[in-house]
Amino acid sequence: MNLNPVIIVARKELIDGFRDKRAIYSMIFGALFGPLLIGYMLTQEAKQQRAAQEITIPVVGKENSPMLVHWLAQQAGVEIKDGPADAEKAVRDQTEDIVLVIKKEFAEKFSASRPAPVQIVSDSNRTSAIPKERRLRSLLTCFSAEIGGLRLMARGVNPNISAALKIEDVEISSAQQRIAKLFNFIPLFVIMAAFTAGMTFATDTTAGERERLSLEPLLINPVPRWQLVAGKWLASVAAATLSMAATLAITAKVLSRLSLEDLGVRFHLGLPEGLLIFAAVAPVALLIPAVQIYLACFAKTFKEAQTYMSFLILGAIAPTLISTFHPLGNNPAFKLIPFLGQSLLAVDVMGENIPPVWLFVASAITAITVANVFLWLATRLFSSEKIIFGR
Amino acid sequence: MIKGQNLRKHFGTVNAVQDVSFTAADGTVTGLLGPNGAGKTTSLRMIYGLIKPDAGAIQIDNHNALTDTLAAQACLGVLPDQSGLYPRLTPREHIRYFGALQGVPSNELETRMEMWIDQLDLRSVADRRVGGFSHGERTKVAMARALVHNPQDIVLDEPTNGLDVSSTRSVREVIRRLKADNRCVLFSSHVMQEVSALCDRIVVIAHGRVVAEGTSDELLALTGKTNLEDAFVSLAGPHGEAA
Repeated sequence: MNLNPVIIVARKELIDGFRDKRAIYSMIFGALFGPLLIGYMLTQEAKQQRAAQEITIPVVGKENSPMLVHWLAQQAGVEIKDGPADAEKAVRDQTEDIVLVIKKEFAEKFSASRPAPVQIVSDSNRTSAIPKERRLRSLLTCFSAEIGGLRLMARGVNPNISAALKIEDVEISSAQQRIAKLFNFIPLFVIMAAFTAGMTFATDTTAGERERLSLEPLLINPVPRWQLVAGKWLASVAAATLSMAATLAITAKVLSRLSLEDLGVRFHLGLPEGLLIFAAVAPVALLIPAVQIYLACFAKTFKEAQTYMSFLILGAIAPTLISTFHPLGNNPAFKLIPFLGQSLLAVDVMGENIPPVWLFVASAITAITVANVFLWLATRLFSSEKIIFGR
Repeated sequence: MIKGQNLRKHFGTVNAVQDVSFTAADGTVTGLLGPNGAGKTTSLRMIYGLIKPDAGAIQIDNHNALTDTLAAQACLGVLPDQSGLYPRLTPREHIRYFGALQGVPSNELETRMEMWIDQLDLRSVADRRVGGFSHGERTKVAMARALVHNPQDIVLDEPTNGLDVSSTRSVREVIRRLKADNRCVLFSSHVMQEVSALCDRIVVIAHGRVVAEGTSDELLALTGKTNLEDAFVSLAGPHGEAA
């Protein structure tokens, strides 16, 4: 039985590629990096949310206002402890995130019904301190309003008169949405995994082949050049697809180990969701190797090819990265842009806002069309005489 | 049969091959002899379809190699200038890869592969990765890979260059066998002794042109010299440094 040369080339490149330790390590790194980073960031987010709800407030100058201290201690999730001798030093040295300082003149001003001074010592550069600082400030504002109201009432004035506005917080970006933003990185990492895996195969089978001078004997075989290119592409696609699937599986495993319910996340990355995300991003595994093979054809050595690849990854990831910070809205046209479209589709899947099937198909078709253009260009380079004159 | 007619090729401003014509017949070993840079490798690359001549015609058996390149390549077994192996594959995997690309049916491929492994004395290393192979072993693997599809026409670009004695002997042995089997063998060399020991006909190339052609006796008669080396030097001109 005779196999098609495309399959023969792809099979040889896969055997050859998977014996390359460099390729294996970079594939493993590519597949692990994203899921572990997401796991870490979600754990941190959970820690911060817990930290904001349950805070321990170090108080300096408790004796200046036992009443305030007592009131604070009665609030839910608040614990009071003795403050450090030097509040600013303790915050600067990061032994404390925040310190509440009740000034000496507090009692005197308080009983004279004048604004009594307290200090919140914190470092706004420290992200872990921000929710604590915010909580403490809102507690103090609340105390201030409560006492102020009592004072007005004691003078026979309706305390509501002093409140010209009633501000209601309608927070669009709920905690869940903040976490969803973290989830938006998942497709990005999946695409990057395909990129790393595709890269080693695409460069080793083209620029690497030139560097080893093995291209000349290969081209003497009676096989049309497009079939050689297609075989090398197919091997890279297989590696990229495998790496994408592995990244998704590892992400699912990492997420299942975190208690996402604590974070208010309803999204569950199970098999159906994983398959849908995979369906959304899979066209990228066809596209990336095509572009990589085309670029690597310009390089005479593996190293030179890797330099071109680093430009490519910036170009490919930039739109997706920008879209995670500046949401693009819901225009379906964006989903047709290669690289960006696939990750937008995946984000929609995770937002339990599953896009219609035609969008999946259309985004796959545009990606495959662009892939074909690059394969055609690569075949032209492969057919030129210049490809042989390696060094 | 390999026939090149008035081949010409330039790269930029360099005229690598200006006018090369020769015929390598079946059952004959034809040597392309010339100093380094004379245009041997460029001529051979045109023969095996890797680069297109600016002018001229090439015929491989009954195929026009310029219009029907793939069919012509299917008749050829080529050992290029560099063996160009894959360091992570074994000799068997190399032979299977090229045999499959040449369209050899897989059961036949296995028998032929074992035959070449024996002939080229590769059995002890047949399943080792070629990464650590000696130059001689690499050349032998490249030869087995080039011959596994039983080509009628064989092109060898400096096959014994840099080989030790025993590897040189097995390569020569293979060339003699191919000749006995009525194949057409065309090989290039800049080494006099090599050419005189193996070739039935010699084509001397210098500065991109064929300067003489014939058996070694004919070349001696032509130049009026008593040994081939002197004949070669007088044919290749003052700049042709023969080995």
